Amino acid sequence: MTVLRILAEASWPDPDAREPEPLPPLPGFAASSFNPLVAETAERCLRARHGAAPAPGRTALLLASSGGDRATARAIDEAAADTGRRMPPLLFFQSNPNAVLGHIAARWGLTGPVVAISPAQAPPPGRVPQDALDLAELLLTDGDADQVLVIAAEQADSTGSTGSTDGTDDADGPHGTDRAVALLVTAV
Amino acid sequence: MNRHAPPAVRPVVTGVGVLSAAGDGPAALTEAVVHGKAAFAAVTRFDVSARRTVRAALLPEPPPLADAVLAAVGQACRRAGLAPAAAGTGPPVLLALHSDLRTRATVASVAAGTAAAWGAPGVTRAYTGACVAAATAVADAAALVAAGRHPRVLVAAGHLVEPGVFAAFDAGRALARDGELRPFSTGRTGTLLGDAAAAVLVEAEPEAERRGAPVLARLAGWARTGDAHHVCRPEPEGEGVTRAVRAALRRAAIAPDEVGYVNANGTGSPMSDLAEAKALHRVFGAHTARLPVSSSKAVHGHALEASALLELVVTIGALTESLLPVNAGWLGPDPQIGLDLVLDGPRAARPRYALTLNSAFGGANTALLVAAP
Repeated sequence: MTVLRILAEASWPDPDAREPEPLPPLPGFAASSFNPLVAETAERCLRARHGAAPAPGRTALLLASSGGDRATARAIDEAAADTGRRMPPLLFFQSNPNAVLGHIAARWGLTGPVVAISPAQAPPPGRVPQDALDLAELLLTDGDADQVLVIAAEQADSTGSTGSTDGTDDADGPHGTDRAVALLVTAV
Repeated sequence: MNRHAPPAVRPVVTGVGVLSAAGDGPAALTEAVVHGKAAFAAVTRFDVSARRTVRAALLPEPPPLADAVLAAVGQACRRAGLAPAAAGTGPPVLLALHSDLRTRATVASVAAGTAAAWGAPGVTRAYTGACVAAATAVADAAALVAAGRHPRVLVAAGHLVEPGVFAAFDAGRALARDGELRPFSTGRTGTLLGDAAAAVLVEAEPEAERRGAPVLARLAGWARTGDAHHVCRPEPEGEGVTRAVRAALRRAAIAPDEVGYVNANGTGSPMSDLAEAKALHRVFGAHTARLPVSSSKAVHGHALEASALLELVVTIGALTESLLPVNAGWLGPDPQIGLDLVLDGPRAARPRYALTLNSAFGGANTALLVAAP
């Protein structure tokens, strides 16, 4: 089994921040904090490694979210149920988690695989699911990528009653805080 | 360094299963695609009176999504002659689904069903990455089998057309205004959605031989790439698709002119079809003029996360029956496309290798190279 080397990491919220920060808005994405959360966490991780775009080599994007973008899903269901209401066109591409990955890939020149998965269970807050690390390792050893940017993101109140599989919880509670962590990894 | 070396253990497909608007099972699907019998009709499942487009390719009386997936899984496993395994010792299950508020419930139902019927250890991973979700799962299954990590992996996918996604695609002007899906044709105006549930059993060739399981096809090559271009538009020159196809050919160690059929992504989108055609010209050069291409979406519709698995079943059916799917919905040539499209059928052919291509939001591309056994 190949061992992964972590080249950079970042998380949202920033564990060193004294005050809660607002997520920077992401142009073209509306109705949900999920996409700004993914984009900002990925941005911080790539900046930590490369400084500025573009990133060299073939980097894959792997987004893991157990809950997914529930705010967008809810907005789509509600708009469709109300036949008198116009469906916002932006929700078309936002209906899938690949769209924000396309934004990150275009900005940083990432030409590796673009993959979105939903792990069977949410990881503890701020942790990357083991399944995502297993898949990152597979993408590297299979030859389609030189590096993988793994982003694990969960929207507030999207992970059920505990937000974690081991019963852990933290002071903020999973209900009120969007959380994401990004790891840029390569094979040792 | 060749980063896509041929695998030491060859992955093969020993079972396929499918439900689509063309009917129940692979034979009904093959019959429809080789004759170009499009399955589109007016949507009555939900209210579409406020939409620009009102047609899709739907199952007449769809079961719940998880039941449809489990039915396809049952077909695939029985076709493969797979015996139910002891609890937890069956094949890992990779499942492609749309990401929405019902995804986790569907995953749980499929996990319970595959565990009960086939001893699977639940759903190992759900893939939610749009129109390459199922192809990515197949590539990962092939990689797992080729690396000797699992003797067999079950890949399943499902998509039933629902009011929310239908309305979102309609609002995004992605659906065909004239209610016909016309891949690569002049006058194409967009795609049409379709229902599908599909499953394939990917197995190490020595394991299939040991069990005496008939091999339907080999997965000779596979690749996943990204465009690095846009949130939802394809890179206009097809550069990402080109890299995916070349990597799949490299993995199989074959030359471009050994490919005898391409089941194209061909959504009917003006921009996406052109980018894909450019990619085919770049990879195949002069061979493009003699390379039959079709998009079977013109018959069964676009099943989003399940589309790539549906189209893999179509491609395996073409190799098995030596008949190529028809590129239906044709109005006439687009001079910028220049492909040898399969415009009437059934067309007999015996390709040794066939490609099935998919592209998705986020600039994701996949290429699966299928070989006759």
